[in-house]
Amino acid sequence: MQTDVLLKADNIVKCFYEPVKFQVLKRVSLEVKRGEFLALVGKSGSGKSTLLYVLSTMDTEYEGSLIIKDTLLTNKKQNDLAAFRNEHIGFVFQFHYLLPEFSALENVMIPALKLNKKSKEEVEIRAYENLKLLGIHEQALKKANKLSGGQQQRVAIARALINEPSIIMGDEPTGNLDSKNTQVVFDIFREISKEKGQTIIAVTHDDDFANHCDRIIEMMDGKIINQ
Amino acid sequence: MASYINNRISQIHLTSNIRQTIVAMLGVIFGISMYVFMTGFMTGVNNVQNDLAFSSLAHIRVYNDRPADNTNIASKVFPNSVINLHNAKIIKYTDGIKNSNTILDALKSQKDITGITTQVNINVFFKNAGNKVNGSVSGVDVVNENKVFNTSKYITEGNWNELKQRTDGIFVAVDLAKNLSLKVNDNLNILTSDGISKNYKVIGLFKTDVASIDKSKAYININAARQLIGANQTYVTDIQINIKDYNTTENVINKIPPIIPFKTESWQMANQQLVAGSSLRDIIAIAVSLVILLVAGFGIYNIMNMTINQKIREIAILKAMGFSGQDVTQIFLTEAVVIGFIGGLIGLGFGYLIANLVNKIPFEVAGLHNLPMAYKLKDYILAFMFGLVTTFIAGFIPARKASKIDPVTIIRG
Repeated sequence: MQTDVLLKADNIVKCFYEPVKFQVLKRVSLEVKRGEFLALVGKSGSGKSTLLYVLSTMDTEYEGSLIIKDTLLTNKKQNDLAAFRNEHIGFVFQFHYLLPEFSALENVMIPALKLNKKSKEEVEIRAYENLKLLGIHEQALKKANKLSGGQQQRVAIARALINEPSIIMGDEPTGNLDSKNTQVVFDIFREISKEKGQTIIAVTHDDDFANHCDRIIEMMDGKIINQ
Repeated sequence: MASYINNRISQIHLTSNIRQTIVAMLGVIFGISMYVFMTGFMTGVNNVQNDLAFSSLAHIRVYNDRPADNTNIASKVFPNSVINLHNAKIIKYTDGIKNSNTILDALKSQKDITGITTQVNINVFFKNAGNKVNGSVSGVDVVNENKVFNTSKYITEGNWNELKQRTDGIFVAVDLAKNLSLKVNDNLNILTSDGISKNYKVIGLFKTDVASIDKSKAYININAARQLIGANQTYVTDIQINIKDYNTTENVINKIPPIIPFKTESWQMANQQLVAGSSLRDIIAIAVSLVILLVAGFGIYNIMNMTINQKIREIAILKAMGFSGQDVTQIFLTEAVVIGFIGGLIGLGFGYLIANLVNKIPFEVAGLHNLPMAYKLKDYILAFMFGLVTTFIAGFIPARKASKIDPVTIIRG
């Protein structure tokens, strides 16, 4: 039976041990619905990024449980988690993190080629469509390191979308962009969450960005104080 | 199985920073070419050494050795007594091999043997008027001697086969001829230790480039030698045997003893200095080559390490997008192996080139004209394999390190 809840985190506890033991997340529980556009806000050190990386399945050293798409992901092997991320989670980071020596188009294609469910030609067509959706198809064959910051971020979003993941996670996706590009990225997120029903979880400092989301989760000292 | 995308990433890495790739390849090229050249050179030197040695040395020699020394037999019976025994002697009852035919028949049935020749070797004085030089005369089976020792190759004047018909003919070594002021067609008197003297006609000269032989040796027909010492028609002092592979004398000798009552001696037993020299050269060659390969391997390791440190964010992002640790290992290992493969191939060509050049360097000693060089396919294949293994290991360690990179720590900074 499919529920409306896409992601369920239960009693997440996370500690850092360097330089001294410090509890970053204090029994955080969270549910996110399908198609939600969610902003994680809070001051520096409040644990919002740490929570995002636990939810992203990349960080595995935590207590509690994490369920995405009715799959329990806690204590799964790294390789299984990698395969899961590949298919179900897309990432957009603050510093866009494209592979600099690849063309924009190839950067977008990489996760789909890794998933290996479609032929290279199909993937290429899809990647080009995604770039077109984001209005940067004219730069498709340029190398990633030759693009401007805003263009790179849009390529990164196109890449996050290529496997049509259920969740797109962003760590300050607009943190490095000017207000014009921030608006562009926001609009894109808004559109995909509304039209394709993809869930978006974004950590942000930008109050303006957060205020336009469906839901804001505010964190302080490792706890959710407002949702 | 390496997937398309992993290979594509490896390819981009290799081609986008082509200078770094070339530097890594140069390490392999240098290592492999040096390995090929060094082993070729050392093998060449060993071959020349062996050729020189086998110009007068058969792989296996059968002869009548002195009997065991039993002069202390009395002290064995009375171990606690003081025994004074003066001028004790070992008496040798038989000289040489009296009936060689049965032994030769037995030897011919051995399948590893490629050539057998019989000799009657006599220590003599060579006399030409006032000049007297001591040395040895070899009575030889003309045809087989040539098969085993390739004697005709060393003939500088005259025709080796002439000795077959000429029981009065003698082939004299060049330096010996010079010392005795002999030329072809001159007469040479030979005096044996039993006081028999006989005249021969010089019908040719030879030069082996082994100084001790060139100063003291002469060949006559084996029947003439038997005649000289008054021995029967099947008498020989030495049976010289060549086998297929001169390194396997041990095996062949182990099969021979039961059928032969005489001493069978391999060239290794008789010339341990040759064996030692040849093995020491092999060890040096291998040691030097391995050190070179090790250095090359270390170079690759360094460059791969550097590359991975440069691409650490890229690796983190690949992992975030769903690439597993194995994928990352595979990507970087592929790069190392490609560097090893291409570098190895170029290294083989380059090594061949160096070997060829060194082979042309003049070296006029002991009958050589150039520096010796061997081109053995086995060495080239081995060098290539070594190169691949080295790059594989040198690439594997950093690649494994890359696979263990934790994406969270990198991406969060």
